[in-house]
Amino acid sequence: MALMRVTSPHAHGPLSTSAVMQQVLLATVPGVLVLTAFFGFGTLVNIAFAALLAVSFEALALKLRGRPPGFYLGDCSALVTAVLLGIALPPYSPWWLIAVGIAAAILMAKHLYGGLGYNPFNPAMVGYVVLLISFPVQMTSWAPPRGAGEVPGLLEALRACFTPGSFDAITMATPLDVLKQNDALLVRDLWAQSPQFGRWAGLGWEWANLAFLAGGLWLLYRRIFTWHAPVAMLAVIALMAALFYDGGSSASGGSPLFHLLSGATMFGAFFIVTDPVTSAVSVRGRLVYGALVGLLVYLIRVFGNYPDAVAFAVLIMNFAAPFIDQYTQPRTYGHAGTGDGK
Amino acid sequence: MRKIHDFHGGIHPVENKHQSLHTPIRDAGIPAELTLPLSQHIGAPATPLVAVGERVLKGQLVAEATGLVSAALHAPTSGTVTAIEPRPIAHPSGLPAPCLVIASDGEDAWCELPPPCSFETLERPELLARIRAAGIAGMGGAGFPAAVKLGLKPGTQVETLIINGTECEPYITADDILMRERAAQIVRGAQILAHLVAPAETVIGIEDNKPEAIAAMCAAAEGTGIEIAVFPTKYPSGGEKQLIELLTGKQVPSGGLPMDVGVVCQNVGTAAAVADAVEHGRPLISRITTVTGAAVDEPQNFEVLLGTPMSHLLALAGYRAADNPRLVMGGPMMGFTVPDPGVPIVKTTNCILAPSAQELPAPPPAQACIRCGLCAEACPASLLPQQLYWFARGREFEKAEAHNLFDCIECGACSYVCPSNIPLVQYYRAAKAEVLQMRRDAQKAEHSRQRFEARQERLEREEAEKEARRAARKQAAEEKARRAADAGSGEADPVQAAIERAQARKAAQAAGAASEENPLQKLEKTVVTTRERLEKAEAKLAQARSEGADHIAALETGVEKTRAKLAAAEQALQDYQAQQTPAEPAPAGDAAQAAIQKAMAARAAQANKSPLEKARDNLEKLEARLAKSEARLAESRAAGEEEKIVEALASSVERLQEKVAAARAELAAEES
Amino acid sequence: MADVSYRELSLNGLWKNNPAIVQLLGLCPLLAVTSSVVNAIGLGLATTLVLVISNTSVSLIRNIVSDAVRLPAFVMIIASAVTCIELLMQAYTYELYQILGIFLPLITTNCVILGRADGFACKHSLLPAMYDGLIMGLGFALVLVFLGALRELAGSGALFANMDLLFGPVAANWKIVVVDDYQNFLLAILPPGAFIFTGLIIAVKNIIDARIDARRAALREKPVKGSKRVRVTGTIS
Repeated sequence: MALMRVTSPHAHGPLSTSAVMQQVLLATVPGVLVLTAFFGFGTLVNIAFAALLAVSFEALALKLRGRPPGFYLGDCSALVTAVLLGIALPPYSPWWLIAVGIAAAILMAKHLYGGLGYNPFNPAMVGYVVLLISFPVQMTSWAPPRGAGEVPGLLEALRACFTPGSFDAITMATPLDVLKQNDALLVRDLWAQSPQFGRWAGLGWEWANLAFLAGGLWLLYRRIFTWHAPVAMLAVIALMAALFYDGGSSASGGSPLFHLLSGATMFGAFFIVTDPVTSAVSVRGRLVYGALVGLLVYLIRVFGNYPDAVAFAVLIMNFAAPFIDQYTQPRTYGHAGTGDGK
Repeated sequence: MRKIHDFHGGIHPVENKHQSLHTPIRDAGIPAELTLPLSQHIGAPATPLVAVGERVLKGQLVAEATGLVSAALHAPTSGTVTAIEPRPIAHPSGLPAPCLVIASDGEDAWCELPPPCSFETLERPELLARIRAAGIAGMGGAGFPAAVKLGLKPGTQVETLIINGTECEPYITADDILMRERAAQIVRGAQILAHLVAPAETVIGIEDNKPEAIAAMCAAAEGTGIEIAVFPTKYPSGGEKQLIELLTGKQVPSGGLPMDVGVVCQNVGTAAAVADAVEHGRPLISRITTVTGAAVDEPQNFEVLLGTPMSHLLALAGYRAADNPRLVMGGPMMGFTVPDPGVPIVKTTNCILAPSAQELPAPPPAQACIRCGLCAEACPASLLPQQLYWFARGREFEKAEAHNLFDCIECGACSYVCPSNIPLVQYYRAAKAEVLQMRRDAQKAEHSRQRFEARQERLEREEAEKEARRAARKQAAEEKARRAADAGSGEADPVQAAIERAQARKAAQAAGAASEENPLQKLEKTVVTTRERLEKAEAKLAQARSEGADHIAALETGVEKTRAKLAAAEQALQDYQAQQTPAEPAPAGDAAQAAIQKAMAARAAQANKSPLEKARDNLEKLEARLAKSEARLAESRAAGEEEKIVEALASSVERLQEKVAAARAELAAEES
Repeated sequence: MADVSYRELSLNGLWKNNPAIVQLLGLCPLLAVTSSVVNAIGLGLATTLVLVISNTSVSLIRNIVSDAVRLPAFVMIIASAVTCIELLMQAYTYELYQILGIFLPLITTNCVILGRADGFACKHSLLPAMYDGLIMGLGFALVLVFLGALRELAGSGALFANMDLLFGPVAANWKIVVVDDYQNFLLAILPPGAFIFTGLIIAVKNIIDARIDARRAALREKPVKGSKRVRVTGTIS
């Protein structure tokens, strides 16, 4: 047997792309469970249907592009996109909404740019924003949480998805929406009047956010990503909220805790902002990237047109990531310049 | 306790060191045949001092260092030189290289060694000479000749002497076991090195995964003032630059040497070899090598003679070739595969790794880069590996250079952590090679531009000179005619004379400013300057030859051309003198004689090779040039370049063809 | 210069050198007003008319106007033509005029028109210049209409809505509802949709061109293949 001629390094670490993706999938489980517990099976149906479509679209795109689908499907990245979009979509979304979103995410945002690793924008967020722009009504109607309204069962969830005409969804404004629309009540009074609110933030929302936080912390522990971008984002949101929270007047923007535990804050911080492909690369770059996402999220939430803003903020910062990289290059060993050491 | 700094990045691969540490160092014995590559490390290869068939004794100098960065080679045992020829060696290129082959006679008879002595009694230059004579090269990585590193410029102050006992690569335990078993020797070596470079402090750096070695070294260093620094295990803390940062907090400037920050770094193995060389006069003829991996039954460390085939060691360790898809010299991170197990151990062979297929599986196909940034986290040089990867793939080499591609130490940490299995280091190596090639090409283009301009200038000058000569000749002839006419008859036609005068004036004008000064002086000046240029060019050529530079051919043609020009200039001078002084033929004859002598001397100087060889070389060179020109011609034809260019190329091809034909004839004449 | 191939002109204007999807000129109106077929037809017709008028006039005065002042002169001509069209549309299709709004006067600055005036009309005689204006205008209009149809279909699930704005009451019921109960896909009607659909059209055109080229290349290579095979059998036997 001839000896193999390969160049160093010969050893390889245990990590693989598909393992990374699988761990990200696993880390979403607590959040999905909490969402299901509070809002019913809608999210689960979303995820299941989105995953099916995403894998088919991915296989189709790979085939069209002349790549072996078997090998590339193995990286599980399409599944991650599908799960993230499925979580972000309102529960009890009709099938065509999910289909359009997945098509935009997989075909347009991912494969038109060259597939995994080449996409400048987060596919799940592109899908979400396409839907949000095109179908504002469907995209802003969220189901009421358990405790504030009736929660449909699995069968109804399936009906809502596949025969949207036969299902009259009960919807209720999200806490962020309620706060945004409010211009007369003190925050304390608003809290007392609206059934959506829970202990610190929205009913259900606070627990979903905490669950996503837990999943994110687990990923941090597994060293799937670094703490820089999420922590920077959360810190800036909290800071902005603290700055603009004037004790809870009718014009205030909600307390820091409310913002941290509302909407897609934790989900975005640990599952969207940490998407490596579309974020900045260096440590300093990730701090800047995360901080600016946080800033944009707060600005759009409080001063913009949309109640939640993680998707917009992330897409805008996706644009900026290459520039951030350009200006935050680490100082190479043995080179003079800013940075530590020497 | 000294402050241990940290360096950026690093990884923690599975160490796999325990396997080879169960037994003490074992003597590998004397194999039947030893193969000594003349080039054991970076730097110039050594020049053999023995002939085939000659008997050599153990420790005898068999090849001497050539040039500054080079190390001598000694016979590892007594025996007979059976061949000096290219053999496969352990080199990343996998190409065979010149080797000196010794058939051992089993007597292991030592040659006469310098008397043992104590280093305190030796002066610095003497000490350095001993180390150089022992042929010691860095035993850790690249094998930089130790004497070169230690030969400091006068007036430099070394702050820290670092003895590197880190051994951060997985599997390798050669330094570990050396420190365990020969701590005293290492410490003595360190003392010698400290005596030599006179540092403010001497530190031996060891990773904390070698407690036994640390204990042994601490005991041996007791009371010597040498500090043992222990730091956490992390790959690649044994890299020179990383170790310096770890122990001193200083960074070696990019493109600089450790000496730039007042640090000299030597491996523990080198220190031990230095102690041996200085105290016992023994040259470097053996080393400790780890043989490990799942494809050997008894992983262990051997003390092995240089030149021993790897197969000999592998057999001693119980090698199962069937289980071993690749054989690595060095560790799994930076080692390279060898083409077959017969290649010899060299001064830098710290480990032979024979992994099984499960242990180090074949690299899986690379997936897309997801820019996860793990590589940037792991990079000990604080580079952005995935940016470099994009640039290397996109052939954007300028950008790669701007992102400090050349600060990559190829430690492999980025490839190790890459979840997409991208062979990053290979990309960087290829990119570096491309960039270097591009730099060489640019240099070559610059050279040829300069040559072209020089030639253009020379042609113009020659044209002017010719013109001047012609004018001078004409004038002289007319003068002579007039004088003759004047002497012949007083009744010369005044009109004719006037016409002649006018013509002379006109000729003088035509000759222009060039003929203003005395033509003789001018010609003499030409000869002198040309001779000077020839001397300069020859000196440059000699230098280039000694350095083995790649532009020798170009220089040679330049020298030839200059020589031809000198001959022409001398001829012209001689012609002129002959013309000017027809009454005195003797000096002209002398000049001719001198020119002939000179030409012959030049010939003799050039003919240090045999004429046959020379003719062959010449023919080869010409043929190569012809082939190149033809290719260039075909290329420009195909590209539809300007007619002028194509014509010029075609004519140069024709000229070369003629030259080749002439050279062939010459060769044939020489051969017959 | 005299022998201009009308066939070549047509091919250029409609496909090979289409102003909208090959030269990518006049993208501003292309992206802004193609949210429905009727808008696209309106602007396409207006642009075509202006192109014909400007090309004709420029060709007529090409030997009179000096080079130095030719661009101002061309722009004057185009602006006059646009003003005429604008007034005509105000008179006859007022609603459409209001929908097209600023993009009607902006035809003046449409690079296609100035480009054809300076690149073609001022170097050619009357008939070819007129024909070029017509064909280029049609090429532009066709892309506009196609894009408008795509966007209208994707955006609202119907085609040819509100055609009465342009064609009068006769066209009031020309609307074809392709998908009943369609959820309006706003993205297609919003500006990003214009970019996305234009990109898709360009991609499809490039695919078609590549197929055509490949087929031509295959046709050209065929004889070579044949001779090769003959030679191979020859050497074997």
